[in-house]
Amino acid sequence: MIETAIFTEGLSKSFGTQAAVSELSLKIQPGAVYGFLGRNGAGKTTTMRMLLGLVRPTKGRAQVLGLDPTKESELVRILERVGFVPQRKQLYGWATPAELVRMNKAYFPRWSDEAAARLSQRLEIPMKTAFKKLSIGNQTKVTLLLALAQGAQVLILDEPTAGLDPVMVDEILRTLIEDHVSQGQTIFMSSHHLGEVEQICDWVGILEEGRLLLESRLEEIRQEFRLVIASGEGLPAAASADVVCATADGRFHRYVVSREAERFAAELRGLGAAILEISPLGLRELFMHLVRKEGTCTPGNAGAKAEPVSSFS
Amino acid sequence: MYAWKCWRESRARFVFLLVMFTASALLLTLLPGLEERNGWWYFDRSAYTRDPATMVPLVSGIVLQLLWVSGFLSAVFLGATAPGSEIEPGTIEYLWTRPRTRSSVTWTHWGVCFAEMVIVAIVPTYLGAVILGTLTRNWNMPLLLVAPWVMVIVGVPMLGLTTLMTALRRSASGGLIYTTAVVSVYLIVREIVTVPMHLNLPTLFAGPLVWLMTSNQPYLSAFPWGSLVRAVFLAAAFPLAAQYLLKRAEV
Repeated sequence: MIETAIFTEGLSKSFGTQAAVSELSLKIQPGAVYGFLGRNGAGKTTTMRMLLGLVRPTKGRAQVLGLDPTKESELVRILERVGFVPQRKQLYGWATPAELVRMNKAYFPRWSDEAAARLSQRLEIPMKTAFKKLSIGNQTKVTLLLALAQGAQVLILDEPTAGLDPVMVDEILRTLIEDHVSQGQTIFMSSHHLGEVEQICDWVGILEEGRLLLESRLEEIRQEFRLVIASGEGLPAAASADVVCATADGRFHRYVVSREAERFAAELRGLGAAILEISPLGLRELFMHLVRKEGTCTPGNAGAKAEPVSSFS
Repeated sequence: MYAWKCWRESRARFVFLLVMFTASALLLTLLPGLEERNGWWYFDRSAYTRDPATMVPLVSGIVLQLLWVSGFLSAVFLGATAPGSEIEPGTIEYLWTRPRTRSSVTWTHWGVCFAEMVIVAIVPTYLGAVILGTLTRNWNMPLLLVAPWVMVIVGVPMLGLTTLMTALRRSASGGLIYTTAVVSVYLIVREIVTVPMHLNLPTLFAGPLVWLMTSNQPYLSAFPWGSLVRAVFLAAAFPLAAQYLLKRAEV
């Protein structure tokens, strides 16, 4: 029994002096639907490429289904069991989707013709038109079809719905939920559409400049995470395990608190602060607070053991 | 299945080369019998039967004057579809995330191109030989019979070189340009060094082809074994270098 579908420990990748991914540690359980979020250039695609052996890590290690992608023999076994939709959805221009399906199925013993036929119909893919003549949306759908019909244990989807209209996005998400999530497949997907992520993911990780700023269950974000706005002098300016993001503008301080917001607010009052607001956070608001440059944010797991807020002072 | 993909991608080039060389071989084989009479072309078979012993080596020589490049050309044009050429257009992400080793992908492509090269070398030459033999009723034509294999021997290092250059340049056009540049620079430097110094250096690996082209009776002159050994070495070294490069490549 494999304990983790995707595991990374101190995974880092640099291109020259530019760090694309820094000390990334992930532990994604089998069956999880993990939304990997971040701005452009945050390191999401590089991470996915490292998991698939397209890029070698500079430091640290990664495992997919317990196998090491840096070893060729293990990589082949990973690729047999992982469906991948790359960010750049580029396939052979001369080939029709029908030819691509025929070509692809030869690689995967668990390929499902029935799933491929169903998807082609559901996604309205013109199967007899050359790939280069398809619209960007249809090209995206073909890459999704190839990944979803291969009977993968893990799906790594890099912006899978980019270029699709809302109806098709909905169709894809429904397909993922009905055919894959329900079957216990692990999905590791990046997306800039936070609504999609909220719709199907149960875990999210937010990456910024190669560092994992936050990793949490989506449900925990909805139930526990709060925005605390306080006014006062000498309030803590840095983040901690419970405070995932702290920003200050003169006397006004904004804290994104991962748990026990009331206790945190009480401690701020103890420091002489006036609490102006304690409000719940959606994924979008949390994301915006974390990745906007004006704040200092704690890298790492928001679910880590809480430290007392008094450690600031 | 990857072999099918290689065939599908290179078949247009393959068919073009095959048709071009076959048509040229046919035309050159039939050329001595063609004559213009009253404003139209007629074929006179007696041109072949008058002196078959002279006609066979003469026509063989004419045919090979054109066909000797087939090995080089097919190697370069077919080799430019090597896996390295998929990096720039972006299809490599699809290819390298299929459950196959990069080495097997490189060598499968090489194998398909090698087979196509052999066909491009054999079909036009042997078709010319069959027509010439039928017309002259003289089947003693060692030059034409050995020629395709010599063309393949000298073509294989070029196939490897093109495979390596596409891996280095990460595109088909870059591979083609770099292969042409490497060959041109080699030939120019060789001339610069050998001509003023009156050196008589052996050819690097095209010796068997020179042997074929400069002798009407190749089996009577000494075969350039050293050149053949170098051709075999380069035929293996270039694709191995490409394999190493692609195995380590990041995309």
